Amino acid sequence: MAESVKGTVTSLSSLFPVEEAQKAAKRVEETISERQKQLDQLRDFAADNNTLINLVQRLPDELHHDIMVPFGKAAFFPGRLIHTNEFLVLLGEGYYAERTAKQTVEILNRRGKALEVQVESVKALMQDLKAEASFFDATASEAAEGLVEIREDYIEETSPKEASMIGIVKPELPISSQAEDVSHVKDEEYDRILSRLAELEKEEEEAENANQEELGSDDSDVGPGHVILEEEMKSLELKERGESSRFQSIEKFPDHWHVEGSKATSKDCLVPENCLPENLAYGKFNLTENAPTEPQAKEDVEAPVIAETKADGRPSEPQFDSTKAFTGSIVEHNSDVNSKVQSVSRSSKPVSRFKMQRK
Amino acid sequence: MASSASLLELQRDLENKANDLSKLQKDISKNHQIRKKYTIQLGENELVLKELDLLNDDANVYKLIGPVLVKQDMAEANANVKKRIEYISAELKRLDSTLQDLEDKQNNKKETILKLQQKIQSLQAGKGKA
Repeated sequence: MAESVKGTVTSLSSLFPVEEAQKAAKRVEETISERQKQLDQLRDFAADNNTLINLVQRLPDELHHDIMVPFGKAAFFPGRLIHTNEFLVLLGEGYYAERTAKQTVEILNRRGKALEVQVESVKALMQDLKAEASFFDATASEAAEGLVEIREDYIEETSPKEASMIGIVKPELPISSQAEDVSHVKDEEYDRILSRLAELEKEEEEAENANQEELGSDDSDVGPGHVILEEEMKSLELKERGESSRFQSIEKFPDHWHVEGSKATSKDCLVPENCLPENLAYGKFNLTENAPTEPQAKEDVEAPVIAETKADGRPSEPQFDSTKAFTGSIVEHNSDVNSKVQSVSRSSKPVSRFKMQRK
Repeated sequence: MASSASLLELQRDLENKANDLSKLQKDISKNHQIRKKYTIQLGENELVLKELDLLNDDANVYKLIGPVLVKQDMAEANANVKKRIEYISAELKRLDSTLQDLEDKQNNKKETILKLQQKIQSLQAGKGKA
């Protein structure tokens, strides 16, 4: 032991004598082998149970079976099994019940499940024990190698009582590596997010181009740009659902379709954020249906999406998000068939404003 | 010599205490075994009860008594098993409390033995010096 000003150096073997550590490891090994035996026994039971189930299932296939009946330990004599569908099943504790083959199989299956549970618990126990054993082994070998423990902190005295502290000191290595792992994972995640964002951006651009070129082009390309990637899937799903229901409503209610659509929206979306994409999809469809000759309307509906994606830090259109999003919802909730025209005119108003802003 | 006489006495005392301790430890291990047996029986009985509950009321149930199977009423069998479970649970509780008691005693004994050993050591050291 070399005492310095800053800390202490303790040889591991003085804290844990090699023999002691080895003894401990040995003891744990013994328990493990015991448990292994138990596990093997349980597995045997399970296997027996399975063969018994097979036999019981097969027996009632025939009215009788010709068998050799065991007589004493060494002798057999020919016999015949009759009543092949009647079993006397031992339930435990000396209780027997008369069952049919099917009922017997049910009982045996239940028993098999109980066995499985036991096997699992023993397995878990063994895993714990193995971890313990490996820890003891490592300690023993380290102590034998003459490893030293160096302490440099404000603990001034290293008393033998603090020996248990070494358990805390040692696992620090794995912990730090874990932390590295975590940061690594985070980097990966970050990369993924970035690539996803780029993808979305491209998609959106394409969609925009397509929209400008053709009015009736598919609107599913509208970038579901959400800041939070977790919500992305949800929103995509919602959008898909919205689209499908939209097509349904087209089929069923060609005239009242957007009444139907708004109902579905309010039902489906409890959180307003989540149903935004869907709302947009509806609004858009609304506009394209009602005013197919208005390219401005198209762009208007596009706007909220862009505004929404703006938070991703990508170059975006003028700050108009709240108004735009609002117009979208206005369109959405004009569920009256009579107000169709109204909704169009209303939505076209902000469009012109939007256009003004853009130009 | 008074010190050697007291030393002898102390050693005898220590021996007695050690014997007591080993006896206690034996008792504890015995208790553990009994406890294990009872827990196994409890599990078995619970299984039986579950199966009995699943049986129809008109099912034939037999109890193996010695070499013969005796036919039993469903209700009777059910009640018997329930009673058995109650009994075993009570027994387990009792065993737990006695086990606790024994362990406390064991710890006390260990402490007294440790003290005795220290006393003897100090006496011997004093003798060595003198």
